[in-house]
Amino acid sequence: MFFGRNVNVSRYDVQKYPIFEKLIEKQLSFFWRPEEVDLSTDRRDFAALPDHERHIFLSNLKYQTLLDSVQGRSPNVALLPIVSLPELETWIETWAFSETIHSRSYTHIIRNIVTEPARIFDDIVTNEAITKRAKDITRYYDALIEGVSLYHQLGEGKHIINGEEVNISITDLKRKLYLTIVSVNVLEAIRFYVSFACSFAFAERSTMEGNAKIIKLIARDEALHLTGTQHILQLMADGKDDPEMAVIARELKDEARQIFIDAAEQEKDWADYLFRDGSMIGLNRDILGQYVEYITNQRMSAVGFEPAFTIKQNPLPWMNSWLNSDNVQVAPQEVEVSSYLVGQIDSEVQSEDFSNFSL
Amino acid sequence: MAHIIKILEGFSFIPRNELTLLEALEQEKVDVEYQCREGFCGSCQINLIDGEVTYTTDPIAFIPEGKILACCCQPKGDLTIEIPGGCKLKKNRL
Repeated sequence: MFFGRNVNVSRYDVQKYPIFEKLIEKQLSFFWRPEEVDLSTDRRDFAALPDHERHIFLSNLKYQTLLDSVQGRSPNVALLPIVSLPELETWIETWAFSETIHSRSYTHIIRNIVTEPARIFDDIVTNEAITKRAKDITRYYDALIEGVSLYHQLGEGKHIINGEEVNISITDLKRKLYLTIVSVNVLEAIRFYVSFACSFAFAERSTMEGNAKIIKLIARDEALHLTGTQHILQLMADGKDDPEMAVIARELKDEARQIFIDAAEQEKDWADYLFRDGSMIGLNRDILGQYVEYITNQRMSAVGFEPAFTIKQNPLPWMNSWLNSDNVQVAPQEVEVSSYLVGQIDSEVQSEDFSNFSL
Repeated sequence: MAHIIKILEGFSFIPRNELTLLEALEQEKVDVEYQCREGFCGSCQINLIDGEVTYTTDPIAFIPEGKILACCCQPKGDLTIEIPGGCKLKKNRL
């Protein structure tokens, strides 16, 4: 999948892993635009929120804006130079593109609810609670991007760069790649869900519903991306694609597991920050913390790791129905079926379909 | 033909034929995780102890060995399954 022969003609007639094609098709069928969702009532709702709830709402949006800024760019920059399968290459591009839609929808939301959007965006890079976590998110990407660019320039071996000795080896780059994919999986599997929970908690009380509708669409995309990285991780650990990768996956198992646990702890700290001025109805620091543990356990077992926390039951059972994108109650004139494909009519006719007919 | 579904540390029941396994479990008020309900998120994984299932749509999510995606499969014969976290019944929500 990675570090093989470079991709040449974008041909999809022979595919090593058809699953990526399926992911691409699914993602394309999900296409949506933020402008489709009407946010005019959200503006009123937001004005009526108490200060500490505005803080929760805006902080989440800021954090999500940051996450999607990273995800809209980094898979392309970090993974495209080393990918070696056209279907995977196209999946990465499709994936990153859908993240740019998410970024645009945050601007759409923020523009709609406040009069000075710039103040909110400016705060993203100066807010300590956000930048603290940003470092951990981008750390693995940065290491991979730097390593790969040096490799392309200088090749394998020892090199002196600015007076420092740097040892470049493919094995080392593969380790960096593995950790990067794990951290991306964590980003899309755990980090996003804290913000999702808050958005849906607002909507559970029938406020900020337009926002929740957008978040639903985003959550649906993220669930698919999550599946994408889970497949990549499993293919790596499996070793059929690259035997060396399986060895690396085994060696780095503890470190990878730790990425999950660290992320869960950071997200719990974030919950502290969110609720510093008071809880919101239906959600507080403790419940959100439990939810983080619960979802972390689920994601860890999905990629074959031993769950890290003891919690067994979902503390926020209503999340499931929000995360399921097809059961929103909307006014009939506003119904948009959230995933539809053109030409979805089943045109296959079998001879037994005529069994009821007689001449 | 009707098939029997046995839930480990739970109970057995006979689902209606046209339901997916997830729908059948929900009808019995068993608490199962779900999200997308169309086979791409992988939330509704349950352990398959014995038996075979057929998929109504091709699942996109990664399914580890010994697991099945409840949202898009139907029993092919009698099944024994295990629900991660144990078989819990839903409380009635208004």
